[in-house]
Amino acid sequence: MAGQSDSTMSLFSSEEIEFMAEDEMVEIVPNLRMDSLNFICGDYGPFYPQLAAQVPIWLALALKKRGKCTIRLPQWMSIENLTQVLEAERDSHAFQPLPFHYVEISRLLFDLAREDIPDMYMVRSLIEDIRDVRFHKVETNLEKFTASTVTWKNMSAMEVNVIRAFAGRALQAFYKHDNEQQTPDTDRTLDKQPQIPTDRPKRNLKPR
Amino acid sequence: MANYYDIDSILVEEEFVPVVFQKAINGVKIDESTEKGYVEQGSKTQLPFWLAHELHMRQAVSIGVPACFNQKTRLEIQADAACVDLRSRCPYFYEFGCKLAPLCDKSIGLLLAYAFRIRYKEVLHKAHTTAFAAASRFLMLLTKEETYMYEAAQSSMAAFKKWRMGGPRLQRASILGRKRKPAE
Repeated sequence: MAGQSDSTMSLFSSEEIEFMAEDEMVEIVPNLRMDSLNFICGDYGPFYPQLAAQVPIWLALALKKRGKCTIRLPQWMSIENLTQVLEAERDSHAFQPLPFHYVEISRLLFDLAREDIPDMYMVRSLIEDIRDVRFHKVETNLEKFTASTVTWKNMSAMEVNVIRAFAGRALQAFYKHDNEQQTPDTDRTLDKQPQIPTDRPKRNLKPR
Repeated sequence: MANYYDIDSILVEEEFVPVVFQKAINGVKIDESTEKGYVEQGSKTQLPFWLAHELHMRQAVSIGVPACFNQKTRLEIQADAACVDLRSRCPYFYEFGCKLAPLCDKSIGLLLAYAFRIRYKEVLHKAHTTAFAAASRFLMLLTKEETYMYEAAQSSMAAFKKWRMGGPRLQRASILGRKRKPAE
């Protein structure tokens, strides 16, 4: 089955990560009156028309599909914030703080709640750009891999998952070879610097 | 890696190594053409690693450096590790080297670590950028372990792209598609 993970290659499939992302909270504005819902994962509601409520994304999308609510765009998905994040991503080597499931959440909202997103096209292209910049950064970081400690802050679930199988194998191999010889030969381990263009020509990020 | 049933670790030990017999051994022939029914002390031959290892532990043979770790290969790796065709020399270059290093030449460990560090970057770079058709020539150079790494990177990237493109959100469970067998 396509939705399930392949145990040999990686721990989770993208679909499974998306499923986990649906537990993140989002704000909705219901247009119906409903008593509170009691689930194992928590109680949500009661819902009153035009009064905002916090619910998990899966519930928000279920209500949305039935036309019972509108979804409020999360704060971090505003154009100002995304523009800021994108510029900061391009300027620094560190990853900017974004929600752990930002790739999945944005895709779910783009697919199923597109009429609730003002400037959908702009938001979408910003998030695509941020994702591309970050993926490129991940690859650059992978090049500097050695068996020593690896500390990357603020990586998101999907970014980790895409490199999980590869990085796992690579780290294992590095570990094996480094243990093979405890005293690394320093003059032979000098490798040439990776030639990665670090700053791309900056684009003017005005809303179209 | 160290799984007893791991097929790769069994195949690694099939690689041949040059050995020199330290003792004369009766009742063994290493060469069909000889008349003698024993092996003289100091005779040379090629044995699979698993056999050579056992004999080495009994001090019957001394193990030499196989062709894939000879001086020529070392020089090539030092020149440009990423372009050396390791697959044709030994598909299990790293694993074989790790097993061999304590027995014949400790400096193999250094060579492996150096080669892997350089080639790792190449694999990483190619796995995320090259189209599949262009990659096939590059794949010919990789050892088994590197190929696994390459495929891991490619398939998780492909899976991510497939998910991003979308498609049907609901999938039929494979068990639902089957028809019930007609009653006989």
